[in-house]
Amino acid sequence: MSDVTRSVHATTPAAAARVASQRRALPNGWWGAALLVATEATLFACLIASYFYLYSYTTKWPPPGVERPSVALPLVLAAVLVATCVPMLLAVRAARAGRVGATAGWVALALAVQAGYLAVQIVELKDDLDSFSPRTGGAYASAYYTLLIAHHAHVLLGILMSAWLLTRLASGLTNYRVVATRVIALYWYFVAAVGVAVTLTLVSPSL
Amino acid sequence: MAASATPQAQQHVERLERIWAERTGLLGWLTTTDHKRIGLLYFFTTLALLAAAGTEALLMRTQLIGPNKDVLGPHAYNELMTMHGVTMIFFVIIPMTTGAFGNYLLPLMIGARDMAFPRMNALSFWLFLASGLFIYTGLATGSAPDAGWFDYVPLASSTFSPGRGIDFYALGLIFNTVASTATAVNFIVTIFKLRAPGMSLNRMPLFCYAFLAVSFALIFALPALTVALIFLELDRRLGFHFYDPSAGGDVLLWQHLFWIFGHPEVYIIILPSFGIATSIIPTFTRRKMVAFPLVALAELLVAFIGFGVWAHHMFAVGLPTVATIYFAAASMIVVIPSAIQLFAWIMTILTGTPSFKTPLLWIVGFIVTFLVGGLSGIMFAAIPFDQQVTDTYFVVAHFHYIIAGGALFPIMAGIFYWFPKVTGRMYHERAGQWSFWLTFIGTNVTFFPMHIVGLIGMPRRQYTYPSGLGWNGYNLVETLGSYLLAVGLLVAVVNLVVSLRKGARVGNDPWGGDTLEWATTSPPPPYNYAVIPKVSSAYAMWDREDREEDARRLARGERTLQQGHETPASTVLDADWDEILDMPADSPWPITLAAATAGIFAMLLLGHYVTAAVFGAIALLVLVAWHGQEPQEA
Repeated sequence: MSDVTRSVHATTPAAAARVASQRRALPNGWWGAALLVATEATLFACLIASYFYLYSYTTKWPPPGVERPSVALPLVLAAVLVATCVPMLLAVRAARAGRVGATAGWVALALAVQAGYLAVQIVELKDDLDSFSPRTGGAYASAYYTLLIAHHAHVLLGILMSAWLLTRLASGLTNYRVVATRVIALYWYFVAAVGVAVTLTLVSPSL
Repeated sequence: MAASATPQAQQHVERLERIWAERTGLLGWLTTTDHKRIGLLYFFTTLALLAAAGTEALLMRTQLIGPNKDVLGPHAYNELMTMHGVTMIFFVIIPMTTGAFGNYLLPLMIGARDMAFPRMNALSFWLFLASGLFIYTGLATGSAPDAGWFDYVPLASSTFSPGRGIDFYALGLIFNTVASTATAVNFIVTIFKLRAPGMSLNRMPLFCYAFLAVSFALIFALPALTVALIFLELDRRLGFHFYDPSAGGDVLLWQHLFWIFGHPEVYIIILPSFGIATSIIPTFTRRKMVAFPLVALAELLVAFIGFGVWAHHMFAVGLPTVATIYFAAASMIVVIPSAIQLFAWIMTILTGTPSFKTPLLWIVGFIVTFLVGGLSGIMFAAIPFDQQVTDTYFVVAHFHYIIAGGALFPIMAGIFYWFPKVTGRMYHERAGQWSFWLTFIGTNVTFFPMHIVGLIGMPRRQYTYPSGLGWNGYNLVETLGSYLLAVGLLVAVVNLVVSLRKGARVGNDPWGGDTLEWATTSPPPPYNYAVIPKVSSAYAMWDREDREEDARRLARGERTLQQGHETPASTVLDADWDEILDMPADSPWPITLAAATAGIFAMLLLGHYVTAAVFGAIALLVLVAWHGQEPQEA
């Protein structure tokens, strides 16, 4: 019992790093986030399955009067989102090693790219809405916009969480913030994976 | 605890009492994060909702007591029928088993001092309560949903159900699934990480396996319902076309999504009851469960295979033959793990020395009714038979044998079994047995004739029926049976209420129970265990030396963790002691966040989308405040 750490008392970077290296199981917070990701992934699986279900029962997908989705830009954007996993991974490493400056730096870098990603996506979404709406575009538009906006909402949530994390990291590193970094990174990996799945689904009529 | 006798032990207990002292009064209940208090909140809320659902059922049965009655009109009947189903499934059985039993007992059984996320646990309850109030506001304001609990489109579309009833249903259930998901996450992490050091997975009580299986089923089943409901609301409110065949949509999409959720849901409803049965049977037969590993695996397998059988609810809608045959086969396979458990219970009772006290009586009643419900269930796997009885009272008979007999009886068994633990008093045994027999006979008199009346053609969900079809006698008997069933449950309630004041006082372990919750006082203190218990088998209470070792450790002040709200965290498989966690104490944020969330849903219902967004922003601010104080700053 003597080698068991009282994790929450780790309030300095060095103490937090020691807890992170001594802990053998994954922290509770990580498990909670993993299960949230599992249920959210199921949600997206249902959305994507519904998209293809409706696709398979329709002869014209997209319906007449609606342009086929563009392919190049969405794929590039998805790649950019996936690329932000690298700085998040490095942020986790830095946090577990007790390097607070590096942690904040990597999170901030990822956040800047993610925010840019969302901005471009919102402009794209507005263009789409100008050309066809869920009311007029039939079941295709319903499935298209629901999937797209569900994904954007998850990106927005990630951005809010990363921004919150940065405000916490500004006042140093604790065990709590190390776990928070891991949790938020895990969430971003999930959002990136979903981004790829959603993009491939939405461009599929043009392939 | 015997060891409290020594002055050193007494000193440690007093210190823990001070650290874990809880706020008293109403504010204490509103801000509590104690899993036992939250369990009790769930219990009383679901009991009130059970009374509502029971009243709805009795009104329907009264309407059907004879042909051409006019106790209820067609519209009121449809509303009560829908509310009865929705309430029993989402607001009684699931919150009663997971919310009340799971919350109260799981941490005790694994030797933990709280759930993994105590504040999220409180949040689950307040969200659940708010969603219940939300959907019952619909009934109170004359806009109850009336399209049945599975709410098929196009009946539920805005064209054919223009009022607010379906919106109360859809938004209320999305709201409810958030609460259930949070509960499920909490259970899994608690089971994985907070088991007392030494309780490796193979030493975990079967009750916990059942709850682990249920939690995973919830995590993967609820999103399908959420997606179906979101599509429905988008169609109804914003003119989307998911279920609109005229614009490329498909009404069967609703049925697929609903039953991808809906069939695992059946196992979500009964698995906790399996867990309760596996707790009670060893105690009252004085022997360990037969085939422990098989039963544990069967509990997990039922939940898993339950995901592959959803279309057997859709044999009558015209799916491709190949698909229906697959689902028929899968539906037969899912019987196997259920049968393993059934045989294990029966063999444990037969090879033990059973003492038929009230809890075991309810369990035996459960085994009998669940067997009947299972046998009528497997008949549906024969597609021609299913097509013949679809939408008749035969189906109603089947699923009431599963839900009333399969889920409600073990809940009653559990209430009697753990009543002395929760209250420190014993119920009245003779009255308990009376309540069982009345309910058991009432259940069978109510639901068995439904098999027959269904086979001779009476359709379900009809508010009345004409005379001269040979249905009158059966319906009269069914209605009288339902009154008997209600009387049986009332006898149980009176018994428990009276025993709460007048019952004989009991010690820690009146039954000679097999699991850890019997090691602590009745009722348990806020910290559950003064000493983190030593565990070396799945029947921890029957390992006398371990319990004596606990007492010695308490006297020495070993493993008492008294620097805060502390509890150990263990490794996932072997439960090696990994770290010591300091858990949050009472907090105002869960109830505040639930209130903000209720605001979001209320505004969505009223169509004030901007105000809903404002409530969303408030919810985010509450979350920031929630996380504003880190554990070490408390």
